[in-house]
Amino acid sequence: MTDGHDGGHGRRRAVRWALVGGTAAVAALVAGLPWLQRDRLPDRLATHWSGGPAPDGSMPLWSASVVPAAVWLVLALALSVRWRRSWTGPRSWLPIALAPTGVVLVGAQISIVRANLDRADWHQARQPGWWIAVTLALAAAAGVLAWRLAVRATATAPLAGTPELDLARDERLVWFSHTANPWLQSLSAVAGLVAVGAALGLVLGLAPAATLWPVCAGCAVLALAGSVSSSVRAKVSEAGLEISFGPLGWPARRWTPDALESARAERRLPSQVGGWGYRLSGLGTTVMLRAGDCLVVRPRGRRSDFAVSVDDAERGAALLNALRARTPGPGR
Amino acid sequence: MLLRLDTTDTRPLHEQVAAAIRRAIAEGECRAGERLPSARDLSAALDLNVNTVLRGLRELRDEGLLEFRRGRGITVAEGASAPRSGLRIKVRELVAEASRLGYSRTDLIDMIRESS
Repeated sequence: MTDGHDGGHGRRRAVRWALVGGTAAVAALVAGLPWLQRDRLPDRLATHWSGGPAPDGSMPLWSASVVPAAVWLVLALALSVRWRRSWTGPRSWLPIALAPTGVVLVGAQISIVRANLDRADWHQARQPGWWIAVTLALAAAAGVLAWRLAVRATATAPLAGTPELDLARDERLVWFSHTANPWLQSLSAVAGLVAVGAALGLVLGLAPAATLWPVCAGCAVLALAGSVSSSVRAKVSEAGLEISFGPLGWPARRWTPDALESARAERRLPSQVGGWGYRLSGLGTTVMLRAGDCLVVRPRGRRSDFAVSVDDAERGAALLNALRARTPGPGR
Repeated sequence: MLLRLDTTDTRPLHEQVAAAIRRAIAEGECRAGERLPSARDLSAALDLNVNTVLRGLRELRDEGLLEFRRGRGITVAEGASAPRSGLRIKVRELVAEASRLGYSRTDLIDMIRESS
């Protein structure tokens, strides 16, 4: 049911070959750069700086070229292997992870070679400060670019929606559903208790403030994030679909019926979307609180789906589709 | 759970709300102990006044189908199984039919006594 990404097969093959080619090119560049310049480089290269302009770590020329290339290849291989059968085929996050990493490695290698160029000894090499900044900026740009390209390459037409629910002209139907994850709820409750305890300790001065502050702040953030993402409510009415999070129903996301392209029910597993909570993956956005039935909608003008794990999703989707048919949207 | 309101229904709105939830319980849409959406959520979704919805909910509480609990919201009463709710619907239909035919409640109660 989830292997619906049948379209764009050729595009996916092109993406795969681009990935293989790019990986090989980065490995060759990282390994080859010091070798090409070996006449102008010292025997050992300065490879590490700890803030100051003087280096505090070095490597022989051969390992300075081989080690980063090997790290890169192992990383690329580890990310490309399909560890779990339940993982979906087109994983758009692979290029998103690899592109910035490759840029960082190539940039670091260029910086190291430049810093050591024409030096007699590695101790004379100076920290390539602004090269690091440029490399990081380029890596960020590469990540954004890869993300945009990957989303485009794996974008698929939405799967066929659930058949419409029988809806009489003068009938008003509303559908409610909700899910909660007791594990996440108790986790956030425990974090909340720890935060309160740490706050009390701060007030009473039981421990140095420097150690209690991070505990208090961290646990408070964890408790808030946990309570917001541990329960979800879905509501379908004539106003459209409303998904609200947490015990207070805030934050919430809303779509009118004509803002949706289609709605369907689907079985999804946490292993398919990368875990529990608010997840971004090759399947789009998933609010995953438990394995099983998910209500999946495709917002109009978007390239990916929004899914939320709620019971009885089939009828929610059917009602949404019936409401869409009743209110003529754009392009109908 | 799925709730249905008929927009051509001429009964008072609070009765319609009560009838919709009664039907939902009868059809197993929400089981005993399950929590209902809040009155505010229901009124927003059904496009009705909160007080109208609350009046319908109180009606169901008085029938023993719902329980109002502080901090837990509104839940379907433990005793409110689907058959019980179904029977409630039939009784209401019977009373409505009797009054349409000109029988009073007492006449109806007498009839039920005679039939047993």
